[in-house]
Amino acid sequence: MTDPNTWIDSYADRLYRYALSRVRDESSAEDLIQETFIAALRSRDRFKGDSSELTWMTGILRNKIFEFYRRQAKEVPLLPSDEDSDPESEFFDGRHWSASSAPRDWGGEPARKAESVEFTAALRSCLDALTQNVARAFILREMEGLPAPDTAAALGVAPAHLAVLLYRARMRLRRCLERNHFAPEAAA
Amino acid sequence: MSLLPSCREVSKLLSEALDSGRPLGMHARIHLSICAVCRRVAAQFAWLRHGAARPPEGGPALSADAKARLKRSLGAP
Repeated sequence: MTDPNTWIDSYADRLYRYALSRVRDESSAEDLIQETFIAALRSRDRFKGDSSELTWMTGILRNKIFEFYRRQAKEVPLLPSDEDSDPESEFFDGRHWSASSAPRDWGGEPARKAESVEFTAALRSCLDALTQNVARAFILREMEGLPAPDTAAALGVAPAHLAVLLYRARMRLRRCLERNHFAPEAAA
Repeated sequence: MSLLPSCREVSKLLSEALDSGRPLGMHARIHLSICAVCRRVAAQFAWLRHGAARPPEGGPALSADAKARLKRSLGAP
């Protein structure tokens, strides 16, 4: 293991970017990496070297992020009334897609093209436009890969409410990307 | 009245299937087989999943002041 005195210069920027992408608040992100470094310092005897130090610290940070979300859920519980009761109505005209919201063909293979730097940057920009509750659901479920029951527990919501939040997130993100990344000129 | 789910219902079922791990039901699959627009939204949800899983690259770095605060909190020289 490297000298803990070098950790901040070596890892702080990458851990900070990771934390910031998850909590979307500079002060909270800074607090989280401070907690991460302190936890790493205290448990460094348990580091086996099976992974890189950065991977090990990222694992600690992820747990800190989950704790952060659980604390937030206790302090400011999410209520069903926080979101519209009919989130999909704006996208549809009766049973079918409305002319302005019908999804277009983004082309290519998602598994390959969705990992481009440009697409992921646009996705994160669109995420910033979501309401906090909807963004948190998407971040935990899709960015952190937390199973849906664990995501619901971390956010303090019922599974059915989580499904509404995730559906709203996906629908709004796909429309935002379509307008701003894939065909901004068509949306003008 | 149609036995098949509407586009609105299929889009919701597609989202739910991503979280439940359960496959879509037969009626939703029949709808997808005849509705190119809903097949697009299924592909777009896949784009979102792949793009979200990618770790952040670039972006803001921690300020020098913040790094100094961290070093003090860890007792670094």
